[in-house]
Amino acid sequence: MEVQRALEFTLSVPFPSPLNARIAHGALSPDPEPRKAEVSKELTVVENLLHVRWRAAEARLLRVSINSFLDHLGLVVETMEQFGPPVPR
Amino acid sequence: MGAPLAVVAAVARTVAQLWDKPLLGVNHCVGHIEMGRMVTGAHDPTVLYVSGGNTQVIAYSQRRYRIFGETIDIAVGNCLDRFARVLKISNDPSPGYNIEQMAKKGQKLVELPYTVKGMDVSFSGILSHIEEVSHKMLASGECTPEDLCFSLQETVFAMLVEITERAMAHCGSQEVLIVGGVGCNLRLQEMMGIMCEERGAKLFATDERFCIDNGAMIAQAGWEMFRSGQVTTLEDSWITQRYRTDEVEVTWRD
Repeated sequence: MEVQRALEFTLSVPFPSPLNARIAHGALSPDPEPRKAEVSKELTVVENLLHVRWRAAEARLLRVSINSFLDHLGLVVETMEQFGPPVPR
Repeated sequence: MGAPLAVVAAVARTVAQLWDKPLLGVNHCVGHIEMGRMVTGAHDPTVLYVSGGNTQVIAYSQRRYRIFGETIDIAVGNCLDRFARVLKISNDPSPGYNIEQMAKKGQKLVELPYTVKGMDVSFSGILSHIEEVSHKMLASGECTPEDLCFSLQETVFAMLVEITERAMAHCGSQEVLIVGGVGCNLRLQEMMGIMCEERGAKLFATDERFCIDNGAMIAQAGWEMFRSGQVTTLEDSWITQRYRTDEVEVTWRD
């Protein structure tokens, strides 16, 4: 049964380079949403942009998911500032 | 522990990619065991893993650290910490350390439930029992807080020594390694040492520098995993709070 997901939210985060955007994608993608059935989150990378798209049935769950994502995004960006730039490959 | 795991995973994945280095996901308990083996030189020990979140007796067999016995409710460290709160014992430097010091001045053994169930142990009933009777006993002068610390330690450590000894008998093991935060407790080490001596076995234990959770233990286990050819792909690097000791395939031991 497909859960109704009336609410949507999208976010585009610019990074200094496409590699940085891919690193952020790699760092933020692996952990599944705690409530997969009620909130879905898709991450994609285009050039140096990390796009995130949420769909959820309830505003409360959507907000929790976005908040948590922004916390982790901030952490990843800070880590890049502290330990970057990426080594050439 | 979900939040700290999520944080460290995000940072580890970022750093691994920034530096183009392999990533390894390490089981927490396996970290304790591998660091304990390296620091003490124990070869193939029966492991007692005792901390605030876990209580397990473990032995290695055929590429797994197998759990022979464990707590069926709360961890022994959790029992000690909560007991400390009941008696309003200080958290500085840690409740367990303060219980240990007070226990040295205990004179009287208060009888407490002794709850070994086969190879498993249970601590929640002991804690409830103490919560129920301690204030009355202290008010009437029947015993002192020091007596209670002493009695609780003697009881729960005796239980742990019993199941460890039984696991050794099962495996024909002649070594015991104590890991985890409660492993700092010298009285536990002493009691385990007596049991080992009686069996002609050897005890391996460390102090608080290695017993308490640390990053080096994760690095050591990760290094062993890496040396044996393991890496964790980003897709497989998701976190979980339910990762049992025996889920790990030990590829770095015979």
